[in-house]
Amino acid sequence: MQGYVRPGNSQPAWLFPFIVISVLIFSVLPLARLAMVGIVAFASGGVIDVLSEPSLWQATYYTIVTAVLGTIISLAIGCLFAFVLTLTDISGKGLLSFFFVLPMMIPPQVTALAWVQMSGPSSPLLKALSLAPPLGSPQPLYSVGGIALLYGVQHAPLVYLALRAGLMTLPRDGVEAARLSGALSLRVFRDIILPLSLPGIIAGAAISFVSCTGNFGIPAILGIPASIYTLPTLIFTKFSAFTSRTFGDVAVLSGIIAMISVAGLMIQDRALRGRDYRVIGLSGASAVFEFGPWRFAFPPLLWAILFFMLAAPFFALVAGALVPAYGVPLTFKTMSLHAFQEILFRQAVTRTAFVNSLSLAGATALGLLVVTVLAAYALTRRRDMASRIVSSLIEIPYSLPGIVMAVSFILVFAAPIPVLHVSLYGTIWITLIAYFSSFFAASLKPVVSAFHQLDPALEEAARLSGAGFFRRLSDIIVPLIAPAAGASVILVFLIACNELTISALLWSAGTQTLGVAIYNLDDSGSSDLASALSVLVVLMVVVLMLLLELLSKRLPKGVVPWRN
Amino acid sequence: MKTIVSAAALLAASLLAVPASAASLVLYTSQPNEDAQATVDGFMAANPDIKVDWVRDGTPKIIAKLQAEIQAGNPVADVLLIADMVTLERLKEDGKLLAYKSPEAAGYDASLYDADGYYYSTKLITTGIMYNTSAAMKPTSWKDLTKPETKGFVTMPSPLASGAALIHAQTLAAVPGLGWDYYKALAENGAIAAGGNGAVLKSVASGEKAYGMVVDYLPIREKAKGAPVEFVFPSEGVSAVTEPVGILASTKNAEAAKKFVDYVLSEKGQEGFLKLGYIPARNGMKLPEGFPARDTIKVLPIKAAEALKNTDQDLKTFSGIYGSN
Repeated sequence: MQGYVRPGNSQPAWLFPFIVISVLIFSVLPLARLAMVGIVAFASGGVIDVLSEPSLWQATYYTIVTAVLGTIISLAIGCLFAFVLTLTDISGKGLLSFFFVLPMMIPPQVTALAWVQMSGPSSPLLKALSLAPPLGSPQPLYSVGGIALLYGVQHAPLVYLALRAGLMTLPRDGVEAARLSGALSLRVFRDIILPLSLPGIIAGAAISFVSCTGNFGIPAILGIPASIYTLPTLIFTKFSAFTSRTFGDVAVLSGIIAMISVAGLMIQDRALRGRDYRVIGLSGASAVFEFGPWRFAFPPLLWAILFFMLAAPFFALVAGALVPAYGVPLTFKTMSLHAFQEILFRQAVTRTAFVNSLSLAGATALGLLVVTVLAAYALTRRRDMASRIVSSLIEIPYSLPGIVMAVSFILVFAAPIPVLHVSLYGTIWITLIAYFSSFFAASLKPVVSAFHQLDPALEEAARLSGAGFFRRLSDIIVPLIAPAAGASVILVFLIACNELTISALLWSAGTQTLGVAIYNLDDSGSSDLASALSVLVVLMVVVLMLLLELLSKRLPKGVVPWRN
Repeated sequence: MKTIVSAAALLAASLLAVPASAASLVLYTSQPNEDAQATVDGFMAANPDIKVDWVRDGTPKIIAKLQAEIQAGNPVADVLLIADMVTLERLKEDGKLLAYKSPEAAGYDASLYDADGYYYSTKLITTGIMYNTSAAMKPTSWKDLTKPETKGFVTMPSPLASGAALIHAQTLAAVPGLGWDYYKALAENGAIAAGGNGAVLKSVASGEKAYGMVVDYLPIREKAKGAPVEFVFPSEGVSAVTEPVGILASTKNAEAAKKFVDYVLSEKGQEGFLKLGYIPARNGMKLPEGFPARDTIKVLPIKAAEALKNTDQDLKTFSGIYGSN
């Protein structure tokens, strides 16, 4: 199969260098700068101090444990929903899918805030229902289990989307052939669907694991109060006590996170090696399994899971925004709209944050798509060492926590750019470049997997008939990968919209993002304001999703991830 | 497809429409958001020709941001309004501040501002004990927090996240009979040190913890709004920070910055702080509601120069006791 693709012979000469230059700017330059600072720290002996700190090893331990547990939880939930919603004939699939993707689009610190408001003695919701635990009861979410649980909830949609993308292109003829030969449903699932969906599951697990190790919002809100530090929060606290050694220390710490993430990705790579499933064109998913009478049993279970994942925390968030002061039970008498008033009409930061987050996310998603389609083409057609190196270079910024990329970009763009004499630092542009760097891999992944499933014969045929590169791109490739490209844009837009870690360090006056605004409000003790802004963000996400839903008839099939 | 294209164009246009900063003054402050907005609104009402952009974070984080920016050679802030004098003293010694002799200084005690005009205190923020009204014991002294019945019920802000908390720890550490041993006893009693003062307020008011060390205005204000909390000034005395204001030497808007300093020190600016529930630093001002008479509040001394010298060591000692890096 491999020899069939003759590498490199059908792409224009500028393509690969273009990709290499992009990767140099987005990955190599900032990371090399960071590595340099790390090496200087090494040389000056500071590393021994860092490595001998027990807090470092404890944070490493917590990072791995929470990420592994979180990945397992997200796999369990994500796979259940993906298989049931893609392959069966249960009712209400569209709605279920719509709501299931929501947690991913909600900023992690909002999720954490909502769950905290939902449980423990501080819950305005439980207080309103007179169910609150007594004074001094520990908040159960301030624990390793709590962090892992929320990682699972937050990242389950990633698994779902990764797996679903694969399931959508399952060869229906294979399943039908098996059916005609008399294979039972379970047999079809085990022998045809499961092996074919394994790449999706493994990819989902890898994305989830890497996202867990880099997550900041959840361990910041759930871990710090219980002195449970993961590597990203440890780095953040190191910055909070900035000394001359900080940059060096952080360089070393990020090296450790990098190793953990790379290990995760290597396991994925190993698991996928030798598997190459190429399927001609789109086969369009349809119900493979008919549950018959059982089709009414499943939806209530799924709805119950969704209720606890979404509705309950959201009501808690609303309750948290409506109480007039901490510790006051929410009743119709005490209810106050003060927090919403303050957020909407007084705080200048609200409007700024909305404008910043939306424009950053839009520019990142669309800008990256162009680079991504070209990169995916170049990288899947060339299967040599160079392309493998470039691919892993693209992965690295995504696997590193945002905070590390943020530091790298501060170091690179701190001084004004030499020839142009323009200073990016302190402007919104440095955040945009860091976003490009960090979400490159997220944008690339769906597109690359679409390329992997493309039969090269199609393009080869066009090439032999004399179609040029852009002609082949527009007539053959883009239409075939459109669903994946659409998913990529949406994915990146939403991740960027909800981003906190990178902007937490790069924001400055006037360039606050929504993530920063919410975290800051909560951090300063104004959790009523934080809750109010969070409620607005959740509503915004739902409105955006509904807009997509309305547009979906005009979009290519598969672009809206929760739709069939 | 057209819709996507026009949406893209719209987004691109909105991105270009966001200028790097159209403001003429950038304020870095550690006041909570609502207070920061109120201060800025008050200043802009008095000086309609000056627009202020502000950034809020805990003092150590603000300083970290500033240090990184200075290392980058591009500090964004013009004016600082942050928790404590020790931090500004350090910036002054590093040559990062601009000297400005404000005419408003006449209304202030000489101990509350820098003689060369590098920084001026704007208010008095003390740290005492808050407790949830459903707590079994009503603490009256710092030592009460080490009693067995408070085991696991005590929380405090971390000096790594709060400037006031650092000064507080350094102040208590210097009190005979308390010292670092007191912090060790607290830790052995299950006390937690994490986050800033806001986190402590939330934790105690909501009943996750029963007692907390915290800055005065938060619980006093929340109590007025109906939260089930009380604030006490412990018998040994309280620590205090004065939220000084200072101008960065790198400012490109020195005139506007000077106006800002004058404003926060002026009677009008101080009235604004009073309304927000702070004790104004200016002589002859009233106290906000809910505070005892000013002469009954015993403020523990702190030697700024010594505190500055020991800051790194003290942070290490504290981290060592609480394992919070």
